[in-house]
Amino acid sequence: MGGEGWLFLFAVLMAAVLLFTMVFFIIMFSDLECDYINPIDLCNKLNQFVLPEMIAHAFLTLCFLLSGQWLAFLLNAPLVGYNVNKIMSKNHMYDATEIFRTLSGHKKESFIKLGFYLVSFFYYLYRMILALISESD
Amino acid sequence: MSAQPVMLPQGWEARWDGQSQAYYYVDQSSGQSQWELPTAPSYGSPDAQTPVTAPPASAAPTAASPAAAPRAGRRHYPTAQIQQQLYGGYDQAQQPGLQAPMQAGFPDQQGGQQQQQQPGGGGPVQYFTPAGMDGSLQQPGIQPPAGYAGQQGGVGPGPGAQFSQGQQPVDAMSNQFQQMNMGYKGPAQAGGAAAGGYEQKQLHPIHTVNLIGMQPDVGALDSPPPPYLIPPNAAVTQSPHVQPDPSYQRSTLATMPMTQSLLNKSKLPLALVMAPYRSFRESDGDMPVPVVEDSVIARCRRCRAYINPFVTFIEGGNRWKCCMCGLSNEVPQLFDWDQAAGKPADRWARKELNHSVVEFIAPTEYMVRPPQPPIYAFIIDVSQTAVQSGMVATAARTILENLDNLPNADKRTKIAIIAVSTSLHFFSLPPGSAEASMLVVPDLTDVFLPKPVDLLVNLNESRPAIESLLNRLSDMFQDSHIVGNALGSALQAAHQLIGKYGGKIIALTASLPTVGEGALKARDDPKLLGTSKESSLLNAASSFYKTFAIECSKQQVAVDMFLFSASYTDVATLSCLPRYTAGQTYLYPGFNASRSEDAIKFATEFGRVLSQPIGLEAVIRVRATRGIRMSAFHGNFFIRSTDLLALPVVPLDQNYVIELQLEDDLKSSTVVIQTAILHTTCYGERRIRVITQSMSTTDSIAELYASADQIAITSYLANKAVEKSMTSSLDDARSLVTNRLSEMLTVYKNQVTSSAGASAQLAVPDNLKLLPLLACGLVKHVGLREGASIPPDLRAYAQDLLTTLPTQSLVPYIHPRFYSLHNMPPEAGTIGEHGVILPPPMNLTSERLERHGLFLIEDGQNMFLWVGHEAVPRLVQDVFDLPAYADLTGGKFTLPQLDNPFSQRVNAIVAKTRELRRGVYRPHLYVVKSDAEPALRSWALSLLIEDRMDHMSSYAQYLTTVKNKVNGSS
Ligand SMILES: [Zn+2]
Repeated sequence: MGGEGWLFLFAVLMAAVLLFTMVFFIIMFSDLECDYINPIDLCNKLNQFVLPEMIAHAFLTLCFLLSGQWLAFLLNAPLVGYNVNKIMSKNHMYDATEIFRTLSGHKKESFIKLGFYLVSFFYYLYRMILALISESD
Repeated sequence: MSAQPVMLPQGWEARWDGQSQAYYYVDQSSGQSQWELPTAPSYGSPDAQTPVTAPPASAAPTAASPAAAPRAGRRHYPTAQIQQQLYGGYDQAQQPGLQAPMQAGFPDQQGGQQQQQQPGGGGPVQYFTPAGMDGSLQQPGIQPPAGYAGQQGGVGPGPGAQFSQGQQPVDAMSNQFQQMNMGYKGPAQAGGAAAGGYEQKQLHPIHTVNLIGMQPDVGALDSPPPPYLIPPNAAVTQSPHVQPDPSYQRSTLATMPMTQSLLNKSKLPLALVMAPYRSFRESDGDMPVPVVEDSVIARCRRCRAYINPFVTFIEGGNRWKCCMCGLSNEVPQLFDWDQAAGKPADRWARKELNHSVVEFIAPTEYMVRPPQPPIYAFIIDVSQTAVQSGMVATAARTILENLDNLPNADKRTKIAIIAVSTSLHFFSLPPGSAEASMLVVPDLTDVFLPKPVDLLVNLNESRPAIESLLNRLSDMFQDSHIVGNALGSALQAAHQLIGKYGGKIIALTASLPTVGEGALKARDDPKLLGTSKESSLLNAASSFYKTFAIECSKQQVAVDMFLFSASYTDVATLSCLPRYTAGQTYLYPGFNASRSEDAIKFATEFGRVLSQPIGLEAVIRVRATRGIRMSAFHGNFFIRSTDLLALPVVPLDQNYVIELQLEDDLKSSTVVIQTAILHTTCYGERRIRVITQSMSTTDSIAELYASADQIAITSYLANKAVEKSMTSSLDDARSLVTNRLSEMLTVYKNQVTSSAGASAQLAVPDNLKLLPLLACGLVKHVGLREGASIPPDLRAYAQDLLTTLPTQSLVPYIHPRFYSLHNMPPEAGTIGEHGVILPPPMNLTSERLERHGLFLIEDGQNMFLWVGHEAVPRLVQDVFDLPAYADLTGGKFTLPQLDNPFSQRVNAIVAKTRELRRGVYRPHLYVVKSDAEPALRSWALSLLIEDRMDHMSSYAQYLTTVKNKVNGSS
């Protein structure tokens, strides 16, 4: 298996991890709505995953950039920009005092990211298979 | 809907005639009876029946024909005549003016409508009524502005006309409100047609009023909200107290829409405005909260609602059906048993079935731990600025003086004192010792307590040491030249000290926290002011204060902030702590204790905060009939779950706004909303205060509009606008207010008055006729106003007040009161039936200011005594004890008590204004000279919100903007 195959295999795994992170976020938000968890615990829990998620995604995008996968890079660049902007304006962490007011926004964001990672997952899978096929030829 | 008149002229009595289902009126002196409402004046001599609509010519000549008096003429009163007006001309001149409106004022009241002004009297209100309403309500078209110029003459009927409205005491109003409510129920019951009155779709009558070209009727600001009309059999008892007083809880709509789509279509907000832990003021005619002593607490098994007047008893009274979820519950065994007397009791006399607001004494199941004692930890800034401003000395003296007023009924109260500069100073106050010893901790990063005991001490046991410390505190740091404040570290230390009990941290700081945890920077870049970036200054600069607030809330600790700095203190960041721990922020800009006014104001307010009977470890939960959901919460608390508000310490008179949504369509004819606040009293009793309110449902937009409460809507808009200014920008916040208003009026115009196309009128329902004025006041308020000159601290503080003041104080804070003192009616300032009589409030426009006059403008936080530059020496002498206007200096002022009737009356009015409302605030009194101190002058003028100010529109222009929006979108 060549470089491209390995890269997309890695990307597929990353996308799967990110996908599960988002599912976890969404489950936690609905737990909050049903009073299964209090806002303080929720924010403490989720905030541990916020930066790792962003770093993982940024790393993946960097890999695409370095290996010259322009299409995959362009696909991911907007989300990296969005995340960087959030960190710069210091509102990337969940705030327990505001969480109920901003909950619907957070849920929406998580769903959009979920969809994005899902699409990415299949795209990477497709590219991986494509790379494997072209290698075996 | 005949209601008993609230006030009858002297010597008259109302009697109920059972046959004709109406009241008739008996003159007790003559025995004469009549069906019509007697309309004799109750002022002056009771026999003076002849209506006098214009002052006799013998009155001050300039005012004899007020309507014709040109403005220019008014400004040039010869002083001799003013003297006569002031000191000689009262009796002949004022009485007629007062009588006329009283005669006409009564009939309006009895219908339960807003009173209106008389033609030729105060601001004419034009009613246009598409549905052909009662003819008496209609008035001829727009009156020329000269019509109200006459009011400014002072002796015309103007002030009198307003007097009949402005002078309505609040309790008489609420009385009236209750009477109206009963009036609705009464006849229907007496007539045996139980549901007869309820069949009609339109519960609240609708009256359309046009606003364009009209002067707002400011006296109506004190009117009660539309009553909560419910079917006569909705409550199990006939008690008049089954609905809460509006000071506890009011809804933006007195009837509940049946569906969310109807609510969306109507564009009206649906929210509860409440101050459940409201103070008890006997002077306002407050009823003490009835207490259910026997700890029999009947609650629904499913939804946990408390039993209330709106449940139904079934199966012979053995079970009760929950009014919220419909579940049938068992009636507790001891429900009909008088435990104290040991005999059966009358169920229908139980307080929870007769009162909307009751308190239950909670048994131990409602406690997580034994009731905590009241605990106070004081953090006092002792840096150089703090000591020099005199804050430390004043604070120490105030605490000392209030040691006996701290809630301490069972002698369990504990206190701790921490002094902070760049290091932390703890005080060991061992019981029995007469001296305190100081322990200094310089380490600010990893705060630790220097001693395990004696830092937090019982007030009674360590009283000598506490007193000795407070006496010496200021002197101890007198020579300190330390600049810097480690407030964050001190807060952490205080939290360590009291965290295991919970309680209150009171932080007094006179400088920006610059060292240790939570250090802040002076970020008030003037270049940001007036730009869209200004809202960043209204948000917290450091996450420390939010994170710490959450820690505090978890441990049942509340924080009050007293901020004194002469320069920037970052109120926006520091006020986060009170906001999320249910505390309160107090700001004293430029505090200097050597100015006695500053010292008195702070000492009074601080003393009141200390002596408040606080509630500890409180939670608030609102329950409602199935289908209604609480969707958003505004106020000082931490939202612990979707419907549970945590308040470590609940202060008196704090306002909360809770938005409601309809998840499901409402099927029943009434709904019930219940607010429960579980708290520990400061004498160690766990109590639940329950406020239950019932509302009819409707599917008509007209009914929603007719039952809308303009004051509650204003409170809602203030909270929404403040929220918007933080999340978005001040510009958006102002547009939010104006757009919401325009949307409402658009729907009203199109759906209710069904007039299509552009109109030169601005139609509003009578019960919302002051909403545009209040909205105009809101967008021009310091908290939201456009402009680059408002210091961020003042803005943030104003926003705090907008979101925490109860409606009684919020209304004057948005729409100040304005009185003319030099020509006030003779009884103003004297003691009447309800205490000192205030002069009639005037419209907030500088047109009312006269060059020779004396005026009072107050918004509950500040009072401005405006002195016209042509004020006669006699006036200046009588009020200020100074020879002439030129000797007067503007600024904070203490009014001298002089030995002349005018001074006594002015003093009485100022004193009355200071204690007029709930809350701890003691407004400063500023003397404003009309031709000096431009900053002070423009501050006072900025309260006159009907005027144009800088580039902010006047009320008339604002109405035009709203009208254009309404026309544009129809
Ligand atoms: Zn229930």
